Amino acid sequence: MAAVTQDTAVSTGRITRTFIYLVLVLFALFYLLPLYVMGVNSLKPLNEITGGNMMALPSQWTLEPWRSAWSTAQIGVEPTGLKPYFLNSILMVVPAVAISTIIGALNGYVLTKWRFRGDTWVFGLMLFSCFIPFQIVLIPMAVVLGKLGLAGTVPGLILVHVVYGIGFTTLYFRNYYASFPTELVRAAMIDGAGFFRIFWRILLPVSGPIAVVSVIWQFTNIWNDFLFGVSFGGTSQPMTVALNNLVQSSTGVKEYNVHFAGAILAALPTLLVYIVAGRYFVRGLMAGSVKG
Amino acid sequence: MGFLDIRNVTKSYGPVQVLHRIDIAVEEGEFLVLVGPSGCGKSTLLNMIAGLEAITDGEIAIKGRVVNGVHPSKRNIAMVFQSYALYPNMTVGQNMTFGLEMHGVPKPERDRALADVAKLLQIETLLDRKPGQLSGGQRQRVAMGRALVRNPDVFLFDEPLSNLDAKLRVDMRTEIKKLHQKLKTTIVYVTHDQIEALTLSTRIAVMNKGHVQQLGTPKEIYDTPANLFVATFMGSPAMNIVPATVVMENGHPHAALTDADGGVHRLRFSQANLAAWEGKPILLGIRPEAITDPEGADRKSGNIQPFSNRVTVTEPAGSDTFVTMTLSGKDVIARMRADANVTPGQSFDFAINMEKAVAFDPATEARIPA
Repeated sequence: MAAVTQDTAVSTGRITRTFIYLVLVLFALFYLLPLYVMGVNSLKPLNEITGGNMMALPSQWTLEPWRSAWSTAQIGVEPTGLKPYFLNSILMVVPAVAISTIIGALNGYVLTKWRFRGDTWVFGLMLFSCFIPFQIVLIPMAVVLGKLGLAGTVPGLILVHVVYGIGFTTLYFRNYYASFPTELVRAAMIDGAGFFRIFWRILLPVSGPIAVVSVIWQFTNIWNDFLFGVSFGGTSQPMTVALNNLVQSSTGVKEYNVHFAGAILAALPTLLVYIVAGRYFVRGLMAGSVKG
Repeated sequence: MGFLDIRNVTKSYGPVQVLHRIDIAVEEGEFLVLVGPSGCGKSTLLNMIAGLEAITDGEIAIKGRVVNGVHPSKRNIAMVFQSYALYPNMTVGQNMTFGLEMHGVPKPERDRALADVAKLLQIETLLDRKPGQLSGGQRQRVAMGRALVRNPDVFLFDEPLSNLDAKLRVDMRTEIKKLHQKLKTTIVYVTHDQIEALTLSTRIAVMNKGHVQQLGTPKEIYDTPANLFVATFMGSPAMNIVPATVVMENGHPHAALTDADGGVHRLRFSQANLAAWEGKPILLGIRPEAITDPEGADRKSGNIQPFSNRVTVTEPAGSDTFVTMTLSGKDVIARMRADANVTPGQSFDFAINMEKAVAFDPATEARIPA
């Protein structure tokens, strides 16, 4: 058996393999280095950073910077810590991701299974929205939000992110449903299921992989967004804007350990989403393309 | 008026007309097969009966009720799809009762219907499985079961056997036929396989390029094809078509043919009215099984004509031997008994059953009626 595989497959000797792993380990270390620096420096008192080696482990371990970043640090003019902004971000991200994913799924369903005259044009225009830079829509968006009375509110931010996300989510779901057999939809029609029943009972149960893709994509983008947050956040600014305000404050001592802790706090949710759902991400991205 | 009436139905996609004035009346309990090459419009017609495609002109009525514009679920039909179209996320049982559930049938009644059909199709042990865990033949049964549970007025089958391997296809064919004989349901069945059409149907509509070429019983279609298309499409190997001239001898019309070596043979027609075609060219149609060795000829036939010709190729196929020869410049296949003593390259004495011969008008390609 072993002999057969060595004859047919590309043979890799022990030395080659060691070399490959060595290179991979080096790259992994290189990419993990920033996380290490952030981690260790967020766990040591400030004087250890300013007075010594950034790379060293803390000689005196402390959680104080984390506590400070979370609840007491000066954000702008208020000593509130990042907590309220974290909540703002959660309140914004969860509905925005849910709504844009559901609308994307419905769009994909209609564009593939209830086709109408000019549907490819509609899809093309929606795709186009994926390529519009954020900056271009700032002023029109501000006008719309003002007219709707949503400027400076969490619902306003949700609206902005939903509108901006629909292009991507529609693209994902349309391509996924394109390979879903139309005969199933026809069978369900004959069985007596209506538009929403077919969507709910036939298509959605098999949409898991692409829903994960859509959720991860939308979550990371909306969570990490700074421009919309700072432009339209008003009094309910998201985490990213608060982190900026924390780090860029021009008064007082620069508390690097608190900054590191805050930065990790801001990155944690997206990290978590990737760890929990990451393996479905690649699977979902591949699904539409390979099945045919 | 039939049980299922298709009256003057046409279908156009923009300027392209794909179905031309289709007119078929299906009686209750009939097994109608729509057969034709791909692109002939047979699936489109089926989808129109199902309500999945709009009717451009004409009307379709089920049990006397015109169903143009009626939603597929309200036509009381059931359809078996080529890909089976089983819902992948549901179990076999859920698949089969989904239609009843959508029609608001209460659960105890659904379970009863499911149990009956599962027993009929012998799939009781599969009810809790997902479609992905079934073999091709099992999926086929479940797809039929899903249709049967609904107890519809009309069953529609869209090439249901074409995804199965050859052996399973023959088995399932027999099973569908048995089921029809037992339940006496009305079935419209689409296929491109002429054997399926001949074996299953009580009537066949042969379609080509959006027209019904001929509508009739399998025997009518096989023995008296309306035109060259039907003659060559139905039957395997296909009917031999040979150019011939009608000549009169002793007051009877004969077909004059030339054999491989230039010799002329005159074969007497049974069809007397071909006398009117004296001196004119026709196309002689003759099924392979009507050309045999003299011992294998049909004893009941009143018109066996002997002739000899040089054999080009022999193809033993187990139960029969197919023998190829040249007649009037065309390859002609004869179907012999397996043990017929035929040698390629040598002359052989054939017997041709002219009672089974048909003649076509070369200009219109239509059969010259008796």
